[in-house]
Amino acid sequence: MIQITWQYIPFRNDVAFLQIKQTEISEIPFYLVFFYTHVYSAIFVLLAGFTQFNSRLLKNQPVVHRNIGKLYVFTILFLSAPSGLFIGVFANGGFYSKISFVTLSILWFYFTLKGFLTIKNKNIALHKAFMYRSFALTFSAVTLRFWKVILVYLFQPSPMDVYQIIAWLGWVPNLLIVEYYLYNQSKK
Amino acid sequence: MKNLLYLFVAVLLFSCNSKEKKDTKKSHLLAENKEIRTYLYGSFVGYSMIEERDTTKPMIEENAATINILIKRITESEVIAQRIIDGKSKPIKGQMRKTGNTFYFTLKETGDPKNDGVFNFEIQKDTTLVGTWTANDPTRGVTKRKFILRKREFKYDPNLMLPEGDMYIDYENPKKVEAEEQEQEETEKDSISDEEDYESPSELFRAASGAITTINSSTTKLNESQLKNLKKLDLEILRNTIFARHGYAFKSSTVRQFFDFVPWYVPISENVDAQLSETEKQNIALLKRFEKYAEDNYDSFGR
Repeated sequence: MIQITWQYIPFRNDVAFLQIKQTEISEIPFYLVFFYTHVYSAIFVLLAGFTQFNSRLLKNQPVVHRNIGKLYVFTILFLSAPSGLFIGVFANGGFYSKISFVTLSILWFYFTLKGFLTIKNKNIALHKAFMYRSFALTFSAVTLRFWKVILVYLFQPSPMDVYQIIAWLGWVPNLLIVEYYLYNQSKK
Repeated sequence: MKNLLYLFVAVLLFSCNSKEKKDTKKSHLLAENKEIRTYLYGSFVGYSMIEERDTTKPMIEENAATINILIKRITESEVIAQRIIDGKSKPIKGQMRKTGNTFYFTLKETGDPKNDGVFNFEIQKDTTLVGTWTANDPTRGVTKRKFILRKREFKYDPNLMLPEGDMYIDYENPKKVEAEEQEQEETEKDSISDEEDYESPSELFRAASGAITTINSSTTKLNESQLKNLKKLDLEILRNTIFARHGYAFKSSTVRQFFDFVPWYVPISENVDAQLSETEKQNIALLKRFEKYAEDNYDSFGR
């Protein structure tokens, strides 16, 4: 993922994914601003997220957990999720992928906000549940690309057909797995 | 004085004579250089087949090669033409003679004695060219080829489209070479399941989508949304169709396999860059960008 981010450094308007986004870049004001906000901020969210489920860190260094947690929450709420919503509206693959990315960004914002508010109210169980959900959606950055490789390898579909599928496959199964896990935990 | 007069007359006569001589020489040269039968000028296009080959050597599988003989200039003493085979063009020179209503041509390739040969053909009814090519080197694998070519006028028409209904499959570049090899190993181990192990062409080779017969890359200014769902092969064919319309003689066999069988395709030029329209230039740039994106990103981890 760092490598994927790295191809957008230094800042340019015609590399990688942007090669097929020149229409949006020239016609939609601020597209490039939102795109780069998303790219540059999301990588920190992803890296920050990985540290947060470490129980030893939480136990021994609760301050570190809290600080990285704040970085995770505020980056999503102010940068990654709003920019994700904006570029989601202009996503490749037409209506079906647009609605997926827009839903994804709204849920991402909501789960992260709830995760933050619940811990402010000292409700650890709910905080955990919402942060699991939040990170399931964060991790869709990885699973979406992972599914793409598999689908292309197996079926060689047209690029945008694949895109419509992975738009959903990237985050819905992640969320279902987390919900299933939370459901089992709640029964215990 | 008399002598002087004789000399004067002699000089006069002589000069007159030489002038006359020059004139006849000139007119003879003119007759030789005068272009004749110009209605035979143009492209004769078709396929060449192997007529004679060295049977002691293993047969090399080859596609029927498109051959274009472009007659450029005919005079009493000389015929200048050009032959284009597999995207490679070469001048051919020789003579023409006429018997009855048929014209016989003998034209030689020059420059590469090892691989060159001689074309012998006749043109029937001004439209059909029938003949052979014989290699200079009798030890070559293929020593004689025959062909029947039809006159085809080249005219740039931006509205020409690839024929619908044909399959455009890239047989030149099988995509799963490793899988194929593995399978061959398996079939050797287990000869019973032999037939089941054959894969359908679409799994082994890249096939183009129907878009290549519906999108005109020469007359419409293409936009990104039209191209987003196309695979690299579609993009390549769309771009090369522009060059095919201009009569570009493709050198890559991967490209030629798609255009050699297109009825309107006449390979006549090795460089058409100057003929491209503004729309075509823009489309080529756009298509290239999408080809690069497809190449870098289609099957890799990323978007």
